[in-house]
Amino acid sequence: MNASMSQCLMQMVHTDYVIADYQSEIAPRWCTGCGDTAILTAMQRLCRDEQLPPEKTVCVSGIGCASRLPHYMNAYGFHGIHGRALPVAEGIKIRRPDLNVFVTTGDGDCCSIGAAHWLHAIRYNMNMTLLLHDNNVYGLTKKQASPTSPQGMKSNTTPFGATLNPLNPLTVTLGVSNVSFVAQAVDWIPDLLYDILRQAYHHKGFSFVRILQRCPNFMEHRFDDWVRDPSKMRILTHANGLRLKPEVSRVYKNQETHDPLDMPRALALAALKEEIPVGILYRDPTVPCYDELRAGERPSTPGLVELVLNEEFDKVGIWPAETAPAAAGE
Amino acid sequence: MQQQAEITKTPASTTAPTEDEAPALPPLRPALFARYTDLESLRYDYPLVLLETGDGGPLFRPLSRIVDDVLSVAAPPDASGEAMRQQVLRLEARIRRNVALGREGMLSDLWQDNATRMVKESGQSPFGSLGTNLDIARKRLTLDGVVIGCDHTTPGKVVTHTWRAKQNAKARRFRRKVEGLILRLTDILKSDHMKSDEAHSAGALASAMGQDQDSSIDFGSLSRILDRARPEDRLPEDRVRRIKTALEALQCQPFFGPGRATEICRRRPAPYSYTFDSCAAALDALRERLPAILEFTKAVTIAELEVENKYRPDLHDPIFETFDVSDLTADQMELLPGSLILLHDGVTESAEIARAFEALAGGLQITVLIQVDDILGPTSPEPPRNSFGAGTARLASMAMGLNNAFVLQASSAHLYRMQEAFQRGIQHQGPALFSIYSGATRTVPGVPPYVLSAAATESRAFPNFTYDPSAGSDLAARFNLAHNPQVGVDWPEHRLDYETADGERQSEALPFTFADFAIGDVRYQRFCHPAAQDDWTPDMVPFGQAGSGPGAKDRIPEPYVLGLTPENGLLRVGVDDKIVQAAARCNDAWRRLQELAGINNSHALRLLSEERKNREASAIEIAAALPTADATPALPEAPPSPVQLAQEPAPEPTGDDPWIETARCTTCKECTQINSALFKFDENMQAYIADPDAGTYRQIVEAAESCQVSIIHPGQPRNLEEADLDELRERAKPFL
Ligand SMILES: Cc1ncc(C[n+]2csc(CCOP(=O)(O)OP(=O)(O)O)c2C)c(N)n1
Ligand code: SF4
Ligand SMILES: [Mg+2]
Repeated sequence: MNASMSQCLMQMVHTDYVIADYQSEIAPRWCTGCGDTAILTAMQRLCRDEQLPPEKTVCVSGIGCASRLPHYMNAYGFHGIHGRALPVAEGIKIRRPDLNVFVTTGDGDCCSIGAAHWLHAIRYNMNMTLLLHDNNVYGLTKKQASPTSPQGMKSNTTPFGATLNPLNPLTVTLGVSNVSFVAQAVDWIPDLLYDILRQAYHHKGFSFVRILQRCPNFMEHRFDDWVRDPSKMRILTHANGLRLKPEVSRVYKNQETHDPLDMPRALALAALKEEIPVGILYRDPTVPCYDELRAGERPSTPGLVELVLNEEFDKVGIWPAETAPAAAGE
Repeated sequence: MQQQAEITKTPASTTAPTEDEAPALPPLRPALFARYTDLESLRYDYPLVLLETGDGGPLFRPLSRIVDDVLSVAAPPDASGEAMRQQVLRLEARIRRNVALGREGMLSDLWQDNATRMVKESGQSPFGSLGTNLDIARKRLTLDGVVIGCDHTTPGKVVTHTWRAKQNAKARRFRRKVEGLILRLTDILKSDHMKSDEAHSAGALASAMGQDQDSSIDFGSLSRILDRARPEDRLPEDRVRRIKTALEALQCQPFFGPGRATEICRRRPAPYSYTFDSCAAALDALRERLPAILEFTKAVTIAELEVENKYRPDLHDPIFETFDVSDLTADQMELLPGSLILLHDGVTESAEIARAFEALAGGLQITVLIQVDDILGPTSPEPPRNSFGAGTARLASMAMGLNNAFVLQASSAHLYRMQEAFQRGIQHQGPALFSIYSGATRTVPGVPPYVLSAAATESRAFPNFTYDPSAGSDLAARFNLAHNPQVGVDWPEHRLDYETADGERQSEALPFTFADFAIGDVRYQRFCHPAAQDDWTPDMVPFGQAGSGPGAKDRIPEPYVLGLTPENGLLRVGVDDKIVQAAARCNDAWRRLQELAGINNSHALRLLSEERKNREASAIEIAAALPTADATPALPEAPPSPVQLAQEPAPEPTGDDPWIETARCTTCKECTQINSALFKFDENMQAYIADPDAGTYRQIVEAAESCQVSIIHPGQPRNLEEADLDELRERAKPFL
């Protein structure tokens, strides 16, 4: 017998989740035309196609327009504190490795206030998927420059134009040790966005997906050149890379075959200025995951946690001879 | 037996007096035993340390090897190291002596104890060179466990140790699983409780803040804000009941004792014992425990469904209502402890042995040890066990026929070299039979069990082998005979050096045969005819070579083996028919094992010669059929092109109908907000034109304009009565 009895009994339960099963009661409050909608739809399509039970799925976010996504997903969610989505997600994953963990975050949330967590999450390489909604601006707080805002961009905090060169989240991520999955998508090619998310979900480790997202309200026309001219989008393909639908392939003809293990080429593509690369820049499935390395022999029950803590405290405690704690045996 | 024997005709004796009064030696012993009279001075596989290690680690290791390991890291390879080596080896010899006297114990204790005594006896201070060196070495001792000698208790100790190691590994797996399920079920109940009025009460909120009562928070108001417990948010009652029942069964299980920090339920009974000295007792226990097994297994299965949120009362209730023994699967039983049944040939009643076979055949989770102390059995006149081949010693070979049981046969002397086989026995997920000869045969007095058991293997009277059904599907993978000396021949050969009456040194290569083994047994001595050197005659032929040699046909050969008097005098021992026939049966059994192991396998040899013939024939045919021209070389495969979905692209409508490139829609909702009957989302939440007549051409053109990715193509107006059509046609142009 190959499957255990419980597996057989579980197979009796047929699930057929449709997109509506992942839509919450709350209607999205994003501006009309906001790229976040496309990202939410791609997420819901992914959950439907993978038949992820809503009760086995968690979306964790920080603060920002992007970070409102968990409200719109009918799944577990945690709308946390600004910049701190990742530590929360890591805690969830360590304690409940059976859950599918997604992190949705913005360019301000991730690359500004949350930058420290971002770097360490790459290094920890825990099994989860991060969606960086990069609209190059703080949207929720009504237009302040973010670390990815283009130089010269006028905003409420940079009335004379942003002073510095923007930070490139892709090259930063590619440079951190233990990096295992880096991809770029754009909200205006939803089919590729979906396919990249699908591959990110199936990657074992920390999957970093930067999504260029249009904010028609505060960054109007920011990506118009690329939206209107498909030849400026460079689609990265590979034998087991993206699945290009013919409708998409017909429009996006600028394609390059890129081996996701080729780090020097990944760095060069990530740094492209005129064109926007879309696809999987880097993927190494062999990088060890912190959650697996640290998986304990036993589940950490409250009793075990308390016992271990007490043992540690006892090591430095001073005891009257007659009340010394008995050594706890197996 | 690599050492060269030094045997003298003078009884000047190589036997060192031992602390204990050694039992009198038998009147006859095989000549090759001469060099093993003083085992205490030898560094061999005993004392053996039964290691306390985790999953998959080594099970046991000889003391001498542990000491070598310690010395290799603790003693520098120079003169200073030499002093330490000598001191530690003296300590080892002392421990060996202690164990021989029956003082077994943990290695760390024995080491400490003997080291302290050695230092005391030497008169040195504990900080002198001896004390310091022994201490440095002790710190390098990384392994620990009970140190045992080789005697009649050894098979029981080693198999029990092996079985425990398996149970400990099982206990760890069991706790990981069961405690994991308990944790998850508790979490479900806890999160349900969090949605209750009780959890939102002022008192509960206050106590959630910890002991430090903070009066600055008004928990009453907080409770009122939170007080939104809705009945529809709570778990259904039957689910809560089901979870609680399963939880209780998991917490109160009687199969394994609690682990570190396992919460103990008050109703929990003392864990069952799983060692038995009869199969009857083991089977009774199983019957008695069946209801508990069923209850627990049901609870585990329900818990597994619950934590995955996959329990559907309509589907699963009927299954669990009728859940009984027939629903128990092997993998469910594998989670629970197995039983150990210790049987002792000559002690356990013989009907038990037959029952053991039934139990093994039934595929139950049992490990059976059949300890054999006597291979030869009583000689006539008591039938049927009057000679070799009829006793319990053959049970292991028979058990291979059961096919599903792991079988290991070995003599005590060879347990260490069979260690890997023991490990595989642990991993085997079915019944296992260990048949072990202790060497503690009462009718061979004065010979240490270690020597006698080694001799039983040498003489093929008790060969070492394993049969591991999980190792593969064929005999070659399953059966292993490799742990026997000189496995390819009938009898292993050894060189014997001895001195004649005239003081001349002689050296002879001698097979060690079943006859050599038998002459030491007092019951067989009436079939032996010892002759001192002066009485040796040319008619005497070494056993195993009888029937050959010059003039063999004319004379009736008198087969002999070399024996020793208690004083180590060399004898030729003529053996009569009784022994010769028993040896022939023994040899026959050995050859059968050899065949099983693929040595001189008659089927294989036959097939091989046939195959050779076939190959020669087909080689000729192929050569004849080959075309003379070169075959066209295969084209290299085209490099993989970017993956395209196999499906055909949706046809691009060219007519006058409006259409949307649905696959490129970003769900921005611009169009559906203009007219949600005209524009609709498909199952992927991407827009398409649901009904072109549900709106105006104006709406279609406006949607095309507001669509940020410009994928709406308005086509031509359908209602030619619509106002401002010319203007709208102009605006639609960029999107056509
Ligand atoms: C600790 C803290 N600091 C500052 C803020 C104010 N704040 C709210 S959202 C936000 C920036 C969000 O930008 P981004 O992450 O790019 O999200 P977007 O709204 O663009 O999707 C800031 C600074 C806050 N909520 N918390
Ligand atoms: S402000 Fe920008 S990012 Fe935020 S919802 Fe509106 S369009 Fe989207
Ligand atoms: Mg932003």
